[in-house]
Amino acid sequence: MRRLRPYSIPYFIWMAIFVLVPTILLLFLAFSDLNLYRLSAFEFRFSNFTIFSEPFIQRALFNSFFYALIVTLISFLVGYPVAFYITTLQEKKKKFLIALLILPLWTNMLVRLTAWERIFSANSIFSDVFGLQIPILGTELAVVIGLLAMYLPFMIFPIFSVLDKLDTKLIEASKDLGASDTQTFLRVIFPLSLGGVVSGFIMTFLPSLTTFALPEVLGWRKVPMIGMEIQKKFILEGLQPFSINQGALISILIMLFSIASFVLITKVDKEGETLI
Amino acid sequence: MMVQNQIKSRVRKTSGLLITILTFLFLYLPIIIIFLISVNNSTRGYRWEGFTLKWYQDLLFNVTNPSSDLRIFREAIGNTIWVALRSTFFATLLGTIFAIGIHALDKKKRVKMMVLNNIPVVNPDIVTGISLMVVFSLLSFQLGESTVLLAHIFFSIPYVVLSIIPKLKRLDPNMYEAALDLGCSRLSAVWRVILPNISTGIIGGALIAFTMSIDDFVISYFTSGIDFENVSIWLYTKMKNPQNLNPTLYAYNVLIILITIGVILYINLKKDRKEKIS
Repeated sequence: MRRLRPYSIPYFIWMAIFVLVPTILLLFLAFSDLNLYRLSAFEFRFSNFTIFSEPFIQRALFNSFFYALIVTLISFLVGYPVAFYITTLQEKKKKFLIALLILPLWTNMLVRLTAWERIFSANSIFSDVFGLQIPILGTELAVVIGLLAMYLPFMIFPIFSVLDKLDTKLIEASKDLGASDTQTFLRVIFPLSLGGVVSGFIMTFLPSLTTFALPEVLGWRKVPMIGMEIQKKFILEGLQPFSINQGALISILIMLFSIASFVLITKVDKEGETLI
Repeated sequence: MMVQNQIKSRVRKTSGLLITILTFLFLYLPIIIIFLISVNNSTRGYRWEGFTLKWYQDLLFNVTNPSSDLRIFREAIGNTIWVALRSTFFATLLGTIFAIGIHALDKKKRVKMMVLNNIPVVNPDIVTGISLMVVFSLLSFQLGESTVLLAHIFFSIPYVVLSIIPKLKRLDPNMYEAALDLGCSRLSAVWRVILPNISTGIIGGALIAFTMSIDDFVISYFTSGIDFENVSIWLYTKMKNPQNLNPTLYAYNVLIILITIGVILYINLKKDRKEKIS
């Protein structure tokens, strides 16, 4: 098969153009007064950093990290038992439940958001049909519940895929050697599923951290998050001087987290087997 | 002691079941609402006013006097599907070639290429969207349909690669060499030996690529400029006044789910039948 190696070369070039080049460009934008729409001579400068002293940006950053952390932890506490339970079922039921878990993801995320908007409104189709009122639209709670609904499945999938491939002989061996169920879980099953847990943490944390449509709809723009700020800097205020440069700087900050996640993921799962 | 253990494992099993049921209810709540709005006899869809199928009818069959809203919406659906079909085709084609190439590399390089491959998978959409937007403006591409298509091909390829690689790992490398020894050209050996053996991975990858493209919002939003609208972008601009959302949108969404279920059931049935025969 060695003769097929050249097939991978164009991919490397492709990735260099679409991953490496923009990363470098964003770095230049973040640390200079370069104008993206009129490239010319530019000067390095650090004054873009002043955005981090704006109270609104600080609050958005704090909110984003705080919610993303809460959502990730709850997703883990709920998602792990669910993934574990599904692996204990027969093959047919297992497949069915996993398919059932993927199904909601086939609806447009924005449409699901508008559905949550109805659920969180007083006197909506939700309250008419279910006889229940949860009028929390525009609060932090609505944002957190919405995030949980969007990204919880991404915690369950990788944990399930690792647990499902686990060698049952190891569990039997542990029990034969006298370990209790709890001991078996803590010392054998959980450590072996850590790869999936790490992937799950990252796949829920990063999207929750950077979402922008969700807080706009469920938070009524009253709950600032950093994704909204990035969007504002790049699109809504994209033509104002230095707006894109500041946006690039915030993006670089977010990218640091994705690089850290990436290093972590390649440690536990070299070829990305838990990512799909 | 035995009895105690049995009770314990019972309790564990029931609480597992309970938390699973609750999770599924939670995840299906918006889906139920989407379905209800799509069959609700009310233009604004805010209150429940009885069952109807008129929104489906409106979406699919109203050709004589569609409202301008509906016309724009249909155009957005057309754009979404046309982009999804093309991006699925190109991403599947390129992803298959790249996956075969990556698999043929020696271990060290293979791992490096896979790390590169997974960057867009792990990266948050907003980062990918901004990166592409920045590259396109650097290359002075006019933002529009073609840049959205390129962006969709870009974010789909890694998923195609990820779904093909495991199938390649199961393939006996000697088969390819044997085909060459027996006088096959390189290309026809790929076509006749490798492709048939990884076809399930290719189909799976294509399905993921298609569903990802059809539902994408963030990356399309950053790469579309002002002239091009797919369903997500159209919806995002409308969402600022939710009372303007017409229930045909929800009918469209329910139809997409049903079609996807149909396609996947069909593929699975076909696979089952194939396995039974062989």
